[in-house]
Amino acid sequence: MEALGHLLQGFAAALTPGYLLYAFVGCMLGTLIGVLPGLGPAAGTAILIPLTFSLDATGAIIMLCAIYYGAMYGGTITSVLINVPGEAASVVTCIDGHQMAKQGRAGSALGIAAIGSFVGGTLATVALVAVAMPLASLALKFGPAEFFALMVAGLCLVVGLAGNNMLAALLMTVIGLLFAMIGVDPVRGAPRFTFGVEELYDGIGFVPVVMGLFGVAELLLAAEKRQTHMVEAELKSWMPTGAECRQSAGAIGRGTVVGFVLGLIPGVGAIVPTFMAYVLEKRVSKTPERFGKGAIEGVASAETANNAYANASMVPLLALGIPSSPTIAVLMGAFIVNGITPGPFLFKEQPQLVWTVIASFFVGNALLLILNLPLVGLWAKLLKIPFSYMCAGVLIFCVIGAYGLKQSLFDVWVMLGFGILGYLLRKLDFPIAPAILALILGPMMERSLRTTLEISGGSFAIFLDRPVALILLAIPVIVIAFLLFKPRSLAPLRESDIE
Amino acid sequence: MRQGRLVATGAMLAFCLFALWQSLLLSLTDRLGPGPGFFPFWLALIGIVLSLALLVSIWREPGPAADASIEEVRILPHGWGALRCFAIVGLLAAVTIAMEFVGFRLAMLVFNAALVIALGERRWWLIAVFAVLGSFGVYYLFTTWLDVLLPTGRFGI
Repeated sequence: MEALGHLLQGFAAALTPGYLLYAFVGCMLGTLIGVLPGLGPAAGTAILIPLTFSLDATGAIIMLCAIYYGAMYGGTITSVLINVPGEAASVVTCIDGHQMAKQGRAGSALGIAAIGSFVGGTLATVALVAVAMPLASLALKFGPAEFFALMVAGLCLVVGLAGNNMLAALLMTVIGLLFAMIGVDPVRGAPRFTFGVEELYDGIGFVPVVMGLFGVAELLLAAEKRQTHMVEAELKSWMPTGAECRQSAGAIGRGTVVGFVLGLIPGVGAIVPTFMAYVLEKRVSKTPERFGKGAIEGVASAETANNAYANASMVPLLALGIPSSPTIAVLMGAFIVNGITPGPFLFKEQPQLVWTVIASFFVGNALLLILNLPLVGLWAKLLKIPFSYMCAGVLIFCVIGAYGLKQSLFDVWVMLGFGILGYLLRKLDFPIAPAILALILGPMMERSLRTTLEISGGSFAIFLDRPVALILLAIPVIVIAFLLFKPRSLAPLRESDIE
Repeated sequence: MRQGRLVATGAMLAFCLFALWQSLLLSLTDRLGPGPGFFPFWLALIGIVLSLALLVSIWREPGPAADASIEEVRILPHGWGALRCFAIVGLLAAVTIAMEFVGFRLAMLVFNAALVIALGERRWWLIAVFAVLGSFGVYYLFTTWLDVLLPTGRFGI
């Protein structure tokens, strides 16, 4: 009941013209980013951070969150129309969505995707309202030992779900944590790994790093394989028929549950819920043979799960301060840049901000539905922008984003360096997500561990005396051990599972 | 690919060894408990163990299949792809240096024109419009509307 009261106050703020405008602009820009192939939500959110520099903290977060779920929907348009997923989570949508487009039903596919995204996103936000505050209240009872264990658990789950590349993911986590150590020691204030370079005293900036690893690296990969223009599918109408809506209702319901539950678990990438929702839908269908040939339930389930996941993944961030994916890590970076530390204290110390942001999720989901149904044709036209202009435009934003925060050209060099590094790491199949998450969690992890050890007089046995910390530390150990020694029959979900 | 992964893992091992050495120059513990070198020391140590394990794991991987295409084996860009990548990196480096001297507007004007030309655009009027909008237009938008300070260079432009 208390949450409902806060939420209503949040709505009162989120519906003011200023915040409504930020949500609207965020949804538009997010969809634009999602439509452009090669730029995913993480890159999109990162490169658009400079647009929020002059906004107040609430406005900045509202706009960046809107960019995030706008990008999640934008990826659908390219998946359906040209069979190219705008971002990884839309891969599954290509399967039936593009088949529908080939049959002249692109409008139905995009329409049901917009409706499913709206329903999934809205219901997931309702669940977020119910879950986040109790979870945050529970987390308020945590001491530094529990927080350290929680962050280790979050990081290890991200690593554990990296598939066959687990050793590389663990190493990338450590490398990310070591980069986070650059700067002034958060406890004693002593400079570390700065080598007398003044710019390094504040540490390596998160914004230039993500702009490099996502923005510049993505462009280098795209530039290497020359981008070609794609054929646009015909759009006859943008509304699914009544029969198609009835056919998709169950899929939307199930997709919401799958997306929300998996969104709560750190490390489950956006692609997993879409795959699982699709596979589930195919299993429960009386006519599974239609899947892959233009079944509207396939599009509805994947898209609903995608947006439910996007909204649910805000729960660990807002309630615990744990980013569950690279995009959420970028959002967490934006929170920190604006002087806000996500986590349980947020609900206690800044309830107005957090509930306004949550209310804006509802507003954003509604805006996306209103925007995307009639504007599908317009978004499709954006696919005709030549790569040269898209590349130059993105780089302008990257340079401004890297420079603008501290007015430092050093940060532009950092962005360029991490861009080249990100390009090479992707080519060599080293996962980048664990390093990003480690970079943002590193200082908090160190502070929690050192405070814990100061309390215990340097003894690690304190973790044995704290049952919650012990359980939290045991979870990742069990998950990683299970994944390392799992039976062959439990192989990770693959594309072949949905064929 | 395998060779590239070995080199990259070797570089990460070197990075962890360097971090270990640097953390040893800081105090690992002090009278209040763990010192500034404590966390990086243990991280670097874990990183060294993981790098060695990964090196062994990659070393034991089978080499590329006989029928693997050159694209699957090659890491660095080549041909026109390499030129486009080098153009992006080179022009980004150049604009970063130039911004300090000539400011955002002039540096970005040249950067935009040079980049779109390097990426294949040949319509001069479109290049000119884009270059001006992407430099002077963007500068106006960010400094006037969004209150973001951008470099003005030594001549105040």
